[in-house]
Amino acid sequence: MTLPTASLPTLNLAAPAPSAATPFGDELRRQMHGRALLRASFEETWQALRRRYEPAALEPWATGVLELAKVNAGPGCLLAFWRASVTLGRRLPPDALGAAGLGAAGLAAANVCRAAGAPAALAVIEAFERIAERLDAEAQRRWWTMMTATAQGAPDEIALFAGHMPTLLARGSLAEVEAFATAGRRAAGRDRARRRAFFALEDPLSRRLLARMGAGPGFAELEVGLRRLLAALWGDRPGFPPSLQPLPVPEIGDAPRRANIAGPVIRLPEVFSGVTGAASHALYRAASAHAGAHLAYGGPRFTLGKVKPVQMACINLIEDARIETLAMARFPGLRRLWAPFHVTAPSAEPLAALLLARIARALFDPGYQDPDALIAKARALFAERSDRLDDPALSFDIGTRLANDLGQRRIRFDARGHVVEPAYRDDGLGLWDFGEENAERTEEVELAVDAARIERREEENAPQPPEAAPQPEPTGRARPAPADERGRIVARYPEWDAQAGLERADWTTLREVEPALGDPRTLARALERAGPLRARIARLVRAAKVGRAVRLKRQVEGHALDLDAAIEAAVSRRVGETPDERVFTASALRQRDLAVLVLLDTSESTRERLPDGASVLDIEKLAVAMLAEAMAGLGDEMALAAFASAGRDDVRYIHVKRFTERYSEDGAARLAGLQSGLSTRLGAALRHAGEEIAGVRAFRKLILVLTDGEPSDIDVDRPSDLVADARRVVLGLRARGIDTFGVTLDPGGVGSGAAIFGTTNTMPVRRIDDLPMRLSELYFRLARR
Amino acid sequence: MDASTSPLDRYRIAAEPFYQPVDNEVSVFEAAWQHRLPVMLKGPTGCGKTRFVEHMAWKLGRPLVTVAAHEDMTAADLAGRFLLGPEGTMWQDGPLTLAVRHGGICYLDEIVEARQDTTVVIHPLTDARRVLPLEKRGELIHAHPDFQLVISYNPGYQSAVKDLKESTKQRFIALDFDYPEPVLEAGIVAREAGTDTELAGLLVTIAGCTRRLRGQGLDEGASTRMLIHTGRLVAGGVPLEMAVRAGIILPITDDADVRETLGAAISACLP
Repeated sequence: MTLPTASLPTLNLAAPAPSAATPFGDELRRQMHGRALLRASFEETWQALRRRYEPAALEPWATGVLELAKVNAGPGCLLAFWRASVTLGRRLPPDALGAAGLGAAGLAAANVCRAAGAPAALAVIEAFERIAERLDAEAQRRWWTMMTATAQGAPDEIALFAGHMPTLLARGSLAEVEAFATAGRRAAGRDRARRRAFFALEDPLSRRLLARMGAGPGFAELEVGLRRLLAALWGDRPGFPPSLQPLPVPEIGDAPRRANIAGPVIRLPEVFSGVTGAASHALYRAASAHAGAHLAYGGPRFTLGKVKPVQMACINLIEDARIETLAMARFPGLRRLWAPFHVTAPSAEPLAALLLARIARALFDPGYQDPDALIAKARALFAERSDRLDDPALSFDIGTRLANDLGQRRIRFDARGHVVEPAYRDDGLGLWDFGEENAERTEEVELAVDAARIERREEENAPQPPEAAPQPEPTGRARPAPADERGRIVARYPEWDAQAGLERADWTTLREVEPALGDPRTLARALERAGPLRARIARLVRAAKVGRAVRLKRQVEGHALDLDAAIEAAVSRRVGETPDERVFTASALRQRDLAVLVLLDTSESTRERLPDGASVLDIEKLAVAMLAEAMAGLGDEMALAAFASAGRDDVRYIHVKRFTERYSEDGAARLAGLQSGLSTRLGAALRHAGEEIAGVRAFRKLILVLTDGEPSDIDVDRPSDLVADARRVVLGLRARGIDTFGVTLDPGGVGSGAAIFGTTNTMPVRRIDDLPMRLSELYFRLARR
Repeated sequence: MDASTSPLDRYRIAAEPFYQPVDNEVSVFEAAWQHRLPVMLKGPTGCGKTRFVEHMAWKLGRPLVTVAAHEDMTAADLAGRFLLGPEGTMWQDGPLTLAVRHGGICYLDEIVEARQDTTVVIHPLTDARRVLPLEKRGELIHAHPDFQLVISYNPGYQSAVKDLKESTKQRFIALDFDYPEPVLEAGIVAREAGTDTELAGLLVTIAGCTRRLRGQGLDEGASTRMLIHTGRLVAGGVPLEMAVRAGIILPITDDADVRETLGAAISACLP
C-alpha cells in the first residue's frame, strides 16, 4: 500500500514512486519537486489537502494544477490557486466544494489564462476565493463558465470584472451577473474603450444594470397588470387606462426614483432599488393606484407663479392626501394597499423631510398620534374642508399655510435633495404648470425641476439597453459589405412584357437579404396597446380551432339516424334485399390543412406617417404580428416575407419567418427590424413566394399580399406593365393550386388591386387603422373556405 | 283549438317572474306584441334578457317556448323531424313549429350560435307572410295569430365568424340591454340574492371593476346573474372574499395574471 507511506514526512522530499492509482497526483508532485521556488508551498498545500481528501479524490485537483502549469500560468497563479484550495477546502463542506470542484476550477482558470493571460487568471482565482462561499457546486460551475466566456469575449477586461465580482454578487444573483456580463460583451462590441468602461462599472449602461440588480420584478414585468388595475378602478373615466412608461433607474448613490406624472402618462421607475418579490409588486400597485387617483380626481395643473419649493412640497402633500381620500371613499380597500408604506413615527429632529412624511401619515392614518403642533394643524385644516374635497384649490390653500409655518419655525427645506415619502407617491412635478416664465422662476425651483428635465433628456438620448439595440451583425461574423447590402442572388425570374406580348426570360434577379433585427419589444408593446383587437382575434382563433363540424351521412355508427338511409334500408328489407346497414349520421371535425405565406410590401411609400406618428409600415407590422400570433395559435403552416426592389436586377426578398421555423422572439425581432425603402416589383416577389410555398405540403395554399400601392420600379416607365405582369403571376399560381389574395391599403379606392388579384380576391382597406382587424378577419374567412 | 288542451300549456308561466324595468323596454315590447313584430334582444350575458322575455310572456299571458341555440343546431331541430316508430315514420313538431301552430312566443336564445343556414328558417315567419314551410312534410303552416318570435343575441361575441346575416338582422325590432345603473342593479341583486343593499352595492362596485376590464384581459365583465349567485353564497354563510373568488374571479377568467389583477382591484373595493 502506498497510502500511509505517501503521507510520511520523511518521504516527502523525494519524488514519489509512480503509482497506477494516482497518476496525476504523482506526476504533479514530480513536477513540483523540480521547481525550487514552488516546492515548499506545494508541499504545504499538498499536506493540507491530503488531510481532507483521499489521494484518489485529489486526482481531479491535480489535473487542474497540471493544466495551470501547462498553460504557463506562472507561480503567482499557482500559489493563488493553492491558497484558494486550502482556504476554501477548510471553509466549505465537501458537498459544496470538493476536490473535484477545485479541480474543475483549476481547469477553468487555465482556460481563462489561455484566453486572457496569467494576470487575468490570477485575478479570477482571487475573485473565486472571495465569492465561492456564496455559490453552491452547480453555481460555481456556472460562474466559471461565465468567467471563461467573458475572458474570451473581453480578455483585457476580465481582471476588472473579476475585481468587481464581490460587489456584483452581493447585489444580484448569479443569473443577473451572467446577464450583466453578456450585456457588456454585446453592448461594447469591438469598442474596447467602451468595454473597459463597462466592466470597470464606469459606463452609464453598466451603472444602470448594476442598479437594477437585486430588484424586481420591475416595470417591464408588471406593466400589463398595472395598466389593467388602473382600468379596473377608473376605466370609466376619460383618459383611462393611462399610458404607462418606464423611468430609467438612478445610478447607485443617487436619490431614489419616484413615480412621475406627465400629462396623461404615468411614468414609473424601471425598478424600485432593493425591493424584490411580493414587496415590489405591492409597491408598484400602490404607486400606480396613487398616480391613477391623481389622474382620476386631480384638477387642472397649479400655476407655478412665485410658489417656492417648500410651498410646492406642502401643496403636493395636501393634494396627495386629497386625492387619496377621494379614492378611498370609492375604493376603501386602497387603504390596505397604501397603509404599509406609512411608517414614519414622531421624532424630535426638526427636519422638513421628516415632518412632511409625518403630515402625510397623519392625513392618511386617523389613528396616528403625533405631538407636533404642525401636524395637528394640518389635520384640523384638512378636516375643516372635508366636505369640499372635490376642489383642488384647498390643497393650494392648506399647503401654502403649512409652508409658512415651516418657514416661521426656521426649518430648512432641501429643495434639491427632497425625495417624496412614502415611496409609492409620485414626485409631484406633474401637478404643476411650469409655464413659459422660465426667467421669473426662482433658482431653487429650477433646481428642483431640473432633476425631472434631465431625466427626460436622459431617457431620450440614453443608449438603448443591449437587448433592444439593433444588432446588425453578431461580433466576429464578418461578411463582405456589398453582399450584405444587396443580398445573395437566389433566382432569376421571367417577366411578362405586356406591350410586346411575350415573357422575357430571366429578366429579374431576386436576392435574399439577411433581415436586420429590430426590437421585438416595440412590437410587443404595440400589440399590448391593441388589447381589445387582439382579444377579438383570439376569440376567432378559439372558434376556428374548435373547427366546424361536418355532417357525415350514411355511417355505420353515429349519434342519430340518417332518415333517408333508414327509409331505404326499411324498403330494402321489405322487398327482400340485404339492407345497407349504414343508417346513421355522425359529425366529425374538419381538419385544417392550410399553408399561408404573407408577403409584405416595404417599399418607400410605407414610410408615410399617420397622424398618430406611426408609419404605414408600423401598422403593417402590427397587423402581421397579430396575424402571426393567430396562425401560430391555430398551428397553421405559415411564413412571412417582405420585399422591395431597386430595378430589375435587384429585387430584394427578406425571410422574416420561414415555413420550417416556429414564430418566436427571433421572428418578431426580424419583423420589427423591417424598414421602408425602394420600390414595388410585385411580380418577381410573387414568383419567389410561389416557389417558397409550392414546396410545402398542404391541402390549401394561400399567399396574402399586403401592399400599400401600385407596382412600380425605377426602371419601368409604365407601371401598368408591372400590373399586367403581377396579374399573370397570380393566374399562374392559381393554376398551380395556390390562391393569391391582395390586401391593399387604398384610401382612395382607385388602386389596381382588383386588376391584379381579381375582384373577389382583393380587399381594399380604406382606413389604415383598420388593417390589423381586417387582415385577421380576412384570414379567417379565407381559411374557412 | 280549445286553449285548455293546447300542447303549449306546459309552456305557460304561472307565477310572475321578477323583472326590474330599466328603460322603456316593457312598453316597446308590448307595442311590438300588438303587431306581432319579431323582437331581437341585444346585450351582454346575464343582464336579464331571458328574464325579460319570461316576464313579458307572463304579462301577456302567452306560453313561452325557449330554444337554446347551439353550434350543431339544424333547421330540423327547430322545425321538427320524422321519427321511426313501429308502424313506420311519424312527424314530431319541433319547438318553433309548436309555437307557430298553437300560438306562443318562441324565444331563440343566443341565435348566433346556430349555423347560419338554420336561421334562414325563420325568414318567412318574420315578414308579412308569417308562414313556416315544412318542406319534409310538404306542409305550409300559417302562423297562429298569437305567435311571436323573439331572439337574443350577444354582440360581445360578435365576430367575423359568428354574426347574424344582414337579411336576418333587418327583420327585427331591437331592444338593447345593458347592466342596469348601479343603484338599480344593487336593488336587483339584493332582491334576488336576499342580501342587504350594502352588500349588493359592494358587489355592483366589484362588477364595475370587472366590466371596465372588458377588452383589457376579460372578454366580458361580471354579469348581474353572477352577482346574484355571489350574493347567494354570502347569504348562505360563505365569507365575502371567498364568495367573490368563487362567484366572480374564478369563473370569469383562466388567465393567472388577469386573476391577480382582478384580485387586487376587488381588494380595493372591499372595506
